[in-house]
Amino acid sequence: MTEFTVERSDQGVGVIRPVGRLTMVSARQLTEAIAGLVDSGTPRIAVDLSATEFMDSSGLGALIAGLKSTRQAGGDLRIAAPNEQVLTILRLTNLDKVLRPRDSVEEAFDRG
Amino acid sequence: MADESAVTLTMVAPLGPASLDEVHDLVARLFDEVPDTSMVDRIRFETAVIEVAGNILEHSRRTDPPSDEPRSFDIVLRGDRGELAAEFRDDGRPVQIDFEQISMPGEDAEDGRGLALALATVDEISHERHDGLNIWRITCRRSE
Repeated sequence: MTEFTVERSDQGVGVIRPVGRLTMVSARQLTEAIAGLVDSGTPRIAVDLSATEFMDSSGLGALIAGLKSTRQAGGDLRIAAPNEQVLTILRLTNLDKVLRPRDSVEEAFDRG
Repeated sequence: MADESAVTLTMVAPLGPASLDEVHDLVARLFDEVPDTSMVDRIRFETAVIEVAGNILEHSRRTDPPSDEPRSFDIVLRGDRGELAAEFRDDGRPVQIDFEQISMPGEDAEDGRGLALALATVDEISHERHDGLNIWRITCRRSE
């Protein structure tokens, strides 16, 4: 079972942390968590992947949809601390430029 | 020649999205039981198996009419010193697929990456329709 925690940092960044597998089964929860933050006026979102064991193309799709919706709302979506499997699929799908991984959530919005 | 390290795991599950986690658990068991599988090969095989299984389970949800007879999904995973392999059989609607036409979508796309990603990770993926079943096979030759 994949769990998601959602918090807002002191800097006004929404932090979503998926714990476990992010696949077709759970990608919708990520989409809903992103929409919830954007709708409540938090369009800058960091997705903390440090506890995400595995991601499939549905998870990638949810991140791309989130990237678009946050930017439309004047914010951005960034990812932090992905494991080797997530880095591999980002590379193979050519998404490692648009979803450039940051080392940590704290660094995700460090320089704008 | 018999490979004493060969492991075969099988499972039958309902043909629906909720079965994906069970497939994932079976892959994890295979990695526990096949010795010395490298991280690279684990990533390649696990990614392809979950993409293909996800495609089968999602496709069946969208196209198979509701039925009193639950449709079945058979999974066989094998691993030995030389390769990791998976075979899926389902009695859902016939699947038409042209692997030559599959390409990675652009960076704005929110879906359509699954099979392209699977093809990019392993050595072979095939599909055939036989005796009313869709049969998918995945082969991942071990890199070390």
